[in-house]
Amino acid sequence: MSRDRSPRRTLVRVRELTKSFGPTTALDHVSLTVGAGEVLAVVGHNGSGKSTLVKLLAGFHAPDGGVIETRTRDGATTDLRFIHQDLGLVGTLSTVENLSLGTARGLGVLGRLRGADERREADELIRRFGVDFDVDRPVEELSPAERTIVAIARALKGWDEQQDVVVVLDEPTASLHGAEVDRLMAVVRAVAERGAGILFISHRLDEVLGMADTVVALRNGRVVGEVPCSDTDYAGLVELVAGEAVEGLDRRAPVPGDVVLRVSDLEGDTIRNVSLEVRAGEIVGVAGILGSGRDELCAAIFGGRAYGRGSIELAGRTLRPGDLRAAIRHGAAYVPGDRHKHGAVMSMTASENLAAVRIPRIEKPWARVRSRDEDREARHWFTTCGVVPDRPRMELSRFSGGNQQKVVIAKWLRTRPGLLLLEEPTQGVDIGAKSLIHRLVAGSADEGTAVLVASSEAKELAELCDRVLVLSEGELVDELAGTRLTEAAILNASVPS
Amino acid sequence: MSTAANEKGHAIRRRLAGALAFRNISALYILAAMVVLFSVTAPETFPTIDTVRIILNDQAITAVLAVALTVPLAAGLIDLSIGAQLGLGAILVAWLLSVQGAGLGVSLVVTLAVGAGVGLLNGLLITRARISSFITTLGSSSILLAGISWISKDAQILDLGDGFQAIANHQVFQIPLSVYFMVGIAVAVWYVIDRTHAGRAVYATGGNPEAARLAGVRTDRVVILTLVCCGVLAATAGILLSSSLATGDPTVGPGYLLPAFAAAFLGSTQFRNGRFNVLGTVVAVYVLAIGVKGLQLSGAPVWIPELFNGVALLVAVAANRRQASARRVRKDKPGTPSESTTSSPAKPSPTTASRTTASA
Repeated sequence: MSRDRSPRRTLVRVRELTKSFGPTTALDHVSLTVGAGEVLAVVGHNGSGKSTLVKLLAGFHAPDGGVIETRTRDGATTDLRFIHQDLGLVGTLSTVENLSLGTARGLGVLGRLRGADERREADELIRRFGVDFDVDRPVEELSPAERTIVAIARALKGWDEQQDVVVVLDEPTASLHGAEVDRLMAVVRAVAERGAGILFISHRLDEVLGMADTVVALRNGRVVGEVPCSDTDYAGLVELVAGEAVEGLDRRAPVPGDVVLRVSDLEGDTIRNVSLEVRAGEIVGVAGILGSGRDELCAAIFGGRAYGRGSIELAGRTLRPGDLRAAIRHGAAYVPGDRHKHGAVMSMTASENLAAVRIPRIEKPWARVRSRDEDREARHWFTTCGVVPDRPRMELSRFSGGNQQKVVIAKWLRTRPGLLLLEEPTQGVDIGAKSLIHRLVAGSADEGTAVLVASSEAKELAELCDRVLVLSEGELVDELAGTRLTEAAILNASVPS
Repeated sequence: MSTAANEKGHAIRRRLAGALAFRNISALYILAAMVVLFSVTAPETFPTIDTVRIILNDQAITAVLAVALTVPLAAGLIDLSIGAQLGLGAILVAWLLSVQGAGLGVSLVVTLAVGAGVGLLNGLLITRARISSFITTLGSSSILLAGISWISKDAQILDLGDGFQAIANHQVFQIPLSVYFMVGIAVAVWYVIDRTHAGRAVYATGGNPEAARLAGVRTDRVVILTLVCCGVLAATAGILLSSSLATGDPTVGPGYLLPAFAAAFLGSTQFRNGRFNVLGTVVAVYVLAIGVKGLQLSGAPVWIPELFNGVALLVAVAANRRQASARRVRKDKPGTPSESTTSSPAKPSPTTASRTTASA
């Protein structure tokens, strides 16, 4: 029997898949197909049914209706392989050890593990996708993108390229920075070119555009659109996913006031000789690739991390390095890039997190926390920031990422900051939450707050900021404002020459 | 208007149902079941006012210690030295009174100050030398036991004076003073860690020290203060113990370690959804004690208390972990509130936002 080896043959066909949880319909007659060598992206908001789809494919839930066909026409069965968001790697073990986990092939002479063989095999697996890193280093020392690549390599172990394989990647880029994303995407494309089908689940629309062949948009459990990538653009996708055109920010007409923040000759781990000023009512962006110092600047200004040399003046007063309490007292607020590690206490309730920054002037440490005041304030901020569900006494970890981020931002807006320092303010949040966060930041600036935003997303900076400072290899290399302030200009300036 | 009232009634009912749910107050249901069971198996001895009084009295010291332990646990610290801290307090106060012949007031103040000092040392080792609380207190526990042995020469200290004995044993309404001390301490600690900004800082430090630091909490100071507080309360428990026994006994400390941990962890599964809390701890102390007492009165062998406390600790910790993982699983399921999509509120307006805050 001649087997169908045509490059575009269908590997997986999902027909009319339906799944409900109680009264909620998570998936409603969803159909899609993945072909060999094809990258199919599935996009949608949190709660649109993406993760349910993955769980049905993985067999974690049984569908209420519909079928998942993995048997292709010629009798071959497609193998589905999954890379979940948490990757499932053991951080303290090396790439080699992670790849050989769970494949006990017996021991060599005298119980010796077959180290050399395994090492060579791992090296080959990694190189196959056009990347190269040290396979003996513990996985936790690798960059997030490299870790994801290890997970992909492990999922594809034993794949001889004759087998029919579909790799399902569930939000692989949620914790990656811009440059890292590109690196991962190159690997994903390389896997597809070798004949595997890729099902790529994401809520980051911009990255999907450059990489997928076809995009399927989900909304409320339904497929609301299936378009070839070449036929759509970012705005089109946003509209598809959100169900309406999301209004962009109005161009602000900033009236910069006094200088709130003055940084002179700052030197840190990566930062070299940075000087800058931010005025009241101004939104200043900080752009740069990974390692350019972009991630260090806000933390150093706030006092959350030490710096070598230089001076930081906030509202006319010089801050001591690392004295973040003085910074808070003088009106600084800092929203860290890593919400889980630095931004919030996930095991406490949303309203407790909202009140986490004690305002020294009016809240003494031994003063009573009145639950009525707390409820009222929580209600107020939940409405202002559109946090859902409206349950301030629920543990923060149970809110979705976007809503957690709104709580973190609200916690600082509550202190009425004079200087708002933001790192990756919209990383890992869906598009609705993103535009809301942008409006909150703009609103705060309109009230006279000086805002400094560090972001890996050039598009975000171009939309949100009045001017953007570009860092490269720790130094300030450019300042973009007015008509020069475009996404392309930021990206161009960010690349080290 | 009536819909608003309805909605409010609904919210209250929902909160009441949540508060009475088995997973929230399982210990109280278990308590009720035990009372019924032991009233059947030991009908003459168990359901009597004397038993109530004995349990209340016997466990007052364990309860003070367990409440003391709740404070560092809330801040994310394991204090393995509290058994030895209690032992040091017990022997030190007896030594000062009997061997040194110091006055009652001086003895009490010095003992409490030494308790604070032990907590301070633990705290400094954790924050300055960056040793984990587990190892720090494991080490300091051994040092304290050596100190107890040195002070007491491994002999009981008698002759503590009537005034000192009255501290724990004087009865008001037929209940000894130690019970009143326990209640007072529990209320004070509850107020501070549950109702003040300082208490929030303690829980934030326990939940995520780095996030707490970046929100302006002096986490090192929180660590030190919670351990000092724990040290003072453990010394208080030691004083109460020596007073109620009328003896300074060098061997008593370590025996209190496990019951205190079992109660604090069991308590964390009650009322507050996995969070260490004072009320839960006190309730847990008495639930465990009633279980032990009932088994003894029903004719169970002498090794039952050890077994019971050990099993309770493991079950409580397992339940605590399960609550945590249940929360994660619930989050994964679509259809629960946490997964709902972002709604866009009508018009977010930071202008009104800050105004309200300002007027608040």
